[in-house]
Amino acid sequence: MDANSIIDSLYSQFPDDIYDTDVESDIRVVAKVKSENITNVCRYLKENLSFGHLSCEFGIDYPDRGEIQVLYVIGSYEHPVVLTLKADLPRDDPQIESVVPVYWNANWYERETYELFGVKFIDHPDLKPLVLPEEMLGEWPLRKDYKGFPNKTAKNLV
Amino acid sequence: MDEVERSEAEQAEVEQNESEYQGYDDIPGVTLTDRNAISDFIKKTKAQDVLNWGRKSSLWFMVNAMGCCGVELLSTGMAHYDTDRFGIIPRNSPRHADVLIISGYVTKKYLPALKRVWDQMPSPKWVIAFGDCAISGGPFYESYSTRQNIDEIFPVDVYVPGCPPRPEALIQGFFELQKKIEAKKDRGTEY
Repeated sequence: MDANSIIDSLYSQFPDDIYDTDVESDIRVVAKVKSENITNVCRYLKENLSFGHLSCEFGIDYPDRGEIQVLYVIGSYEHPVVLTLKADLPRDDPQIESVVPVYWNANWYERETYELFGVKFIDHPDLKPLVLPEEMLGEWPLRKDYKGFPNKTAKNLV
Repeated sequence: MDEVERSEAEQAEVEQNESEYQGYDDIPGVTLTDRNAISDFIKKTKAQDVLNWGRKSSLWFMVNAMGCCGVELLSTGMAHYDTDRFGIIPRNSPRHADVLIISGYVTKKYLPALKRVWDQMPSPKWVIAFGDCAISGGPFYESYSTRQNIDEIFPVDVYVPGCPPRPEALIQGFFELQKKIEAKKDRGTEY
């Protein structure tokens, strides 16, 4: 299964949800997906296109566009194509469906994305901070407009 | 002394004794006090020199490896450097330890655990800031999760710079701590 046939199969199955696709090379495919249908797309990828391995999932903050993008990098054990799914969410209320029912290892990725970007994952089994302390929840430190950095060096150096 | 005065004096004495034994009356036959008048008196005498000589010669440190400097901390406790000859022994329980070595950056999440280790250690106890991260935050000084200026939280006696410092540097840091204890300049005890 090569990159173009994967894109064609995705288009034919989800004509309304997949857009802005790009075949970067024989093994790298990028596609944007509507956030409402992310779980169905992932389930189709896993069951029909043998994308069995979610490599990583994380967020990107775009304050100019007012969007937070959630990325899914999905690989396969059957073919060499690596697919990057991008879902754009509104920045003031980022919510997306959890893909834990499809890829179980998305659990901690989504907890990390939640604590650092504030993306709410609907139907996540246990949405709580992964490594940040509880009192830092709500600061979303990896957003671009985060103000909580220490604004001076250690006092011994200045 | 007439009876009234005697009874008043007895009354006062009883009250004094009651206040002295307050909280410890459940231990029969044992007189305990929560005052440190004896140790405060000893601090002014030459006996404290002997005490400090003993303390400086048995600096057991807490094995609390927090970062990559922790590897140097562990290797310092190994047989190659043989720190037993100076009385420096790694201990795995904070209740046995005298020295807490902060060997890495302290994140906001780890600080409560470190404070708890520090609270579990019995006095007298000392702190060594080991490595650039513990001293100033190192390359992580600007991070959202790093707690800066650890010396405001712990009474740090010795700073050992380096990234990471060699085990010999840590042993020298212990020597500096020994000198401070011998000179009664350490921050672990109030002289």
